[in-house]
Amino acid sequence: MAGREVVKRAVQQVRPILSVNREEARKRALNLYKAWYRQIPYIVMDYDIPMSVEQCRAKLREQFIKNRSVTDIRVIDMLVIKVCPILPLLFIKETQLMNIQLLLQGQMELKESVEIWKQKGHIMRYWKESQDPKPTDFLSKFIQGIN
Amino acid sequence: MIRAPLVKALGALGSPTHQIASRAVRTSAVVAQTPAKAPEKIEVFVDDIPVKVLPGTTVLQAAAEIGVEIPRFCYHERLAIAGNCRMCLVEVEKSPKPVAACAMPVMKGWRIKTNSDLTRKAREGVMEFLLMNHPLDCPICDQGGECDLQDQAMAFGSDRSRFTDINYTGKRAVEDKDIGPLVKTVMTRCIHCTRCVRFASEVAGVDDLGTTGRGNDMQIGTYVEKLFLTELSGNVIDLCPVGALTNKPYSFVARPWEIRKVSSIDVLDAVGSNIVVSTRTNEVLRILPRENDDVNEEWLADKSRFACDGLKRQRLVAPMVRMPNGELQAVEWEGALIAVAKALKNAGGQIAGVAGQLADVEAMVALKDLVNRLGGENLVTEQDFIKGSGIDVRSSYLLNSSIAGLATTDAVLLVGTNPRYEAPLVNTRLRKAFMHNEMQLASIGPNIDLSYEHKNLGADASLIKDVCSGSHEFSKVLEGAKKPAIIIGADLLARPDGAAIHATISEYCQKLKKADWNPFNVLHNSASQVGAFDVGYQPGLQRMLQNQPKVLFLLNADSGKLTRDQLPKDCFVVYIGSHGDNGASIADAVLPGAAYTEKQGIYVNTEGRAQQTLPGVSPPGMAREDWKILRALSEIVGKPLAYDTLDELRSRLDDIAPHLTRLGELVPASNSEASPQTTPNKSISGGAIDVKLKELRDYFMTDAISRASPTMAKCISAVNKQQRQNEEAKQSAAI
Amino acid sequence: MYGIVKGLLQLPGRVLLKQPARWKLDTTNMYDKLKFEFTEQNLCRAKEMLTNYGEKEQRGALLPLLDLAQRQYGWLPITAIKAVADMLKVDHFEAFEVASFYTMFRMRPEGKFRLMVCTSTPCFLRGSDVVLNTCKEVLNLNENETSSDMQFTLRTVCCYGACANAPVLGVNDDIYEDLTVPAVEDILSCLKNDVIPPAGPRAGRFCSEPVSGPTTLLCPPTPPGYCMQELCKPKKKC
Repeated sequence: MAGREVVKRAVQQVRPILSVNREEARKRALNLYKAWYRQIPYIVMDYDIPMSVEQCRAKLREQFIKNRSVTDIRVIDMLVIKVCPILPLLFIKETQLMNIQLLLQGQMELKESVEIWKQKGHIMRYWKESQDPKPTDFLSKFIQGIN
Repeated sequence: MIRAPLVKALGALGSPTHQIASRAVRTSAVVAQTPAKAPEKIEVFVDDIPVKVLPGTTVLQAAAEIGVEIPRFCYHERLAIAGNCRMCLVEVEKSPKPVAACAMPVMKGWRIKTNSDLTRKAREGVMEFLLMNHPLDCPICDQGGECDLQDQAMAFGSDRSRFTDINYTGKRAVEDKDIGPLVKTVMTRCIHCTRCVRFASEVAGVDDLGTTGRGNDMQIGTYVEKLFLTELSGNVIDLCPVGALTNKPYSFVARPWEIRKVSSIDVLDAVGSNIVVSTRTNEVLRILPRENDDVNEEWLADKSRFACDGLKRQRLVAPMVRMPNGELQAVEWEGALIAVAKALKNAGGQIAGVAGQLADVEAMVALKDLVNRLGGENLVTEQDFIKGSGIDVRSSYLLNSSIAGLATTDAVLLVGTNPRYEAPLVNTRLRKAFMHNEMQLASIGPNIDLSYEHKNLGADASLIKDVCSGSHEFSKVLEGAKKPAIIIGADLLARPDGAAIHATISEYCQKLKKADWNPFNVLHNSASQVGAFDVGYQPGLQRMLQNQPKVLFLLNADSGKLTRDQLPKDCFVVYIGSHGDNGASIADAVLPGAAYTEKQGIYVNTEGRAQQTLPGVSPPGMAREDWKILRALSEIVGKPLAYDTLDELRSRLDDIAPHLTRLGELVPASNSEASPQTTPNKSISGGAIDVKLKELRDYFMTDAISRASPTMAKCISAVNKQQRQNEEAKQSAAI
Repeated sequence: MYGIVKGLLQLPGRVLLKQPARWKLDTTNMYDKLKFEFTEQNLCRAKEMLTNYGEKEQRGALLPLLDLAQRQYGWLPITAIKAVADMLKVDHFEAFEVASFYTMFRMRPEGKFRLMVCTSTPCFLRGSDVVLNTCKEVLNLNENETSSDMQFTLRTVCCYGACANAPVLGVNDDIYEDLTVPAVEDILSCLKNDVIPPAGPRAGRFCSEPVSGPTTLLCPPTPPGYCMQELCKPKKKC
């Protein structure tokens, strides 16, 4: 009996941030995705980054997919609201639409990007991982001029 | 002012005062002058600290022994004592006046006070007088930040000045002099320490500089308008304690606190002078000498000092491959390496390598390993030497008496060499022996000006035989000497009868040999030569050409001795080096390498001392360190060399010849090693002996770096101009 | 502000630059083109001088030989300095350094009679300025100037060491003492006629003794030890 109460209390303590169920969280994530999607052409133009709109959208998708496995609603909400420089969103796969979490890239990130509170480098940081890894063998080091 | 010849003349008389005067010079200039019987040391007190010194030691030296630095301007350890700046005045107890520490020999029981009120007052007074006639232009003075006057005014000067120019008459002003393209003069800043004058007359051996006038009108300069042209002129810049003589090419370039300093080695001659490379923002700005008593003391020859602007010109910055239309075209490294690798695969072992003047030991070893792995054995140096087994014994191609040892010689014979321009700092040693050791010097070869007296025996090669058989009168001088030396020019041994000359002289040297003294010396003029022989290169291009190579590596080989016509038509020439010079122009593939300021490389100087350069800047563009190019190439060919890092390569060097990695140490060729036993089957054919560098103008451009240097070009035109003027003057006088 | 700057600019410039240095060689002059050789007589003298110096100290004869050359030529062109330097086997520049150091060596041509008026304190108190002005007026020369006929050069010097006979005027190697305006005029008029008047004091005395006759040593001097007897006695112990 006592054990059940403890469980109950614990469950009650977990208050939702925004969404009460998965469906709502998914909608929020989708909304954020769409908002980003629409803003990307302006971001590309305003920041004058050497990337095409398509590349940016691919990156957007990639960022959402990265967090596909998040199931906790609170975490999803947090990701949607702000969080993290690099982030999250969701994966939209038609067939699995129902049971998959849609995570949102932070609203905060979007706001900062749209208002040009960021600088070019901050935007370009999304592509940071695309740099080549440092060479380790002699010949590639030689050709790249790295000692 | 005491000039060394005067002191030398005085010293011969043997009166006590003269002995003191001459010892003052000698202790400062020649370390090896130990009297037969060590005199008893006397005790003096410097700031109440007792110190025991030899009689004849000056107050300044005694203070230096316990680490008390007395300020000075005119005193310099390697020059005669002048005693005219008065900055070193110190109080001596019971002496009514302060004494000049640099010139006063200590007496027994003297109590020297280097920090008393009297001393301080004397220094402040001297400093005030100096500053009264010194312009306050430190912000626009090139010496600013490394100026003795600035530093000592801060440390020892008064905190206020009484100098008020009420009448606005201005300070003493002296007009500037044009003494050449290397040294900039701002004579108003001169404080008349006469260091430059003493250097010119004692070390460089030219009397172009001097003092004229007296009192306030005294000036340092040349007495008729004349350039101060010598191969050592740059040293007066270092000697000048103020900004009166500054570096002309470096003027207004940088401040000493902005630059990064890297200790390195000079490679423009075979002396291996120790240098400091000053760099800023990946650019070599200037080169200064670094003190090393065994090699360059603290001097540096002009070429080594001023040719550094050649490091920025004519550089190879990208690999290039010769296109079918005959033009070199820049390509990526992959392309160039693959092109070379293809040629190597088709060569079938007929591969040869030539090491030029500026090649470091690492690159030469890497090239040797690569060529050997591909089945070739044809590795030669560009500089010629004797044919045959002459270089099997290390002592047969070294300057065995050592550079420092040459200053202690008392009879020297030069054969086919002009040390003044081939190795200026070896010549200063010989000059020192001449000045302080009564050394007698004779030369076989053209009559050249060595900056001191010597006897020219003639230019005929048969004289070598005369001297070595003992029939010549100079043989008696050599045989009677305590430390004789015979110095052979490396170029001389390239003659067809070079082997015979070498054998004759080394046989004679066996006779002259003393227990710890080897009189046999070869003076090289290319920095790579000794290192190349040490790692097993053979001398001479002829040997390489006989084998008709299909692929030829030129490692910094730029002397222009090798032309395309001498090579087989289908020969693929690969040039690895830093400058677009003779070597690159005949190459089918050009792989840009690093110059000596851009790599860590070992060079062995003419006396067999291995020293390393350190990188001050990174190689320009796509250029890479030479050994890395060869290592990368080996991998593409499919026979990778067994070292990836410099440390691994160094341990390979250690296996080949352990002395190569004992940096800075002189590893003498062991005395027991006999000189080549083979008796000369060829005899010395007659014919005049010639040297390549006869005059100053020949000196300035001898390698790829100095040929690319605009400063060196200016020097040559200055020498030519001076000579034209002299000739005109002579003609008009004749009329 | 402007006024101050303007005032500064109007002040005399660098005093030292007014005159070229005494030894300064112009490019225009031909001092290195002049021929110089010792005359036979002077060559004998030079050899005689050299015997005073040891074999290794020949360079000690530099000053006498330069002086000899100057006496022969009237002044010292570069060629004369070189000739002396070659004779003694010293560097040309070293000989030049010496010649440029001593003010008695003349590095440019001067008048036949070099008038040197002493202007140091004792002479000035006795009227050397008047002597100098007389010279200026009579010869129509300024200080440090040479007359166009190369007869006279007027200079001021500091102290001949003949202060007891002030004021003093030196003419070449001779000194004229106890000068007055008529005396100076007399000397100059003689010199103008190429007559060299006898040197020495002009106040009727022989040397530097008092003009009014001797004032000391009027009686024979006392013998040595006079007044010293007291000191020679042994001291009493206290």
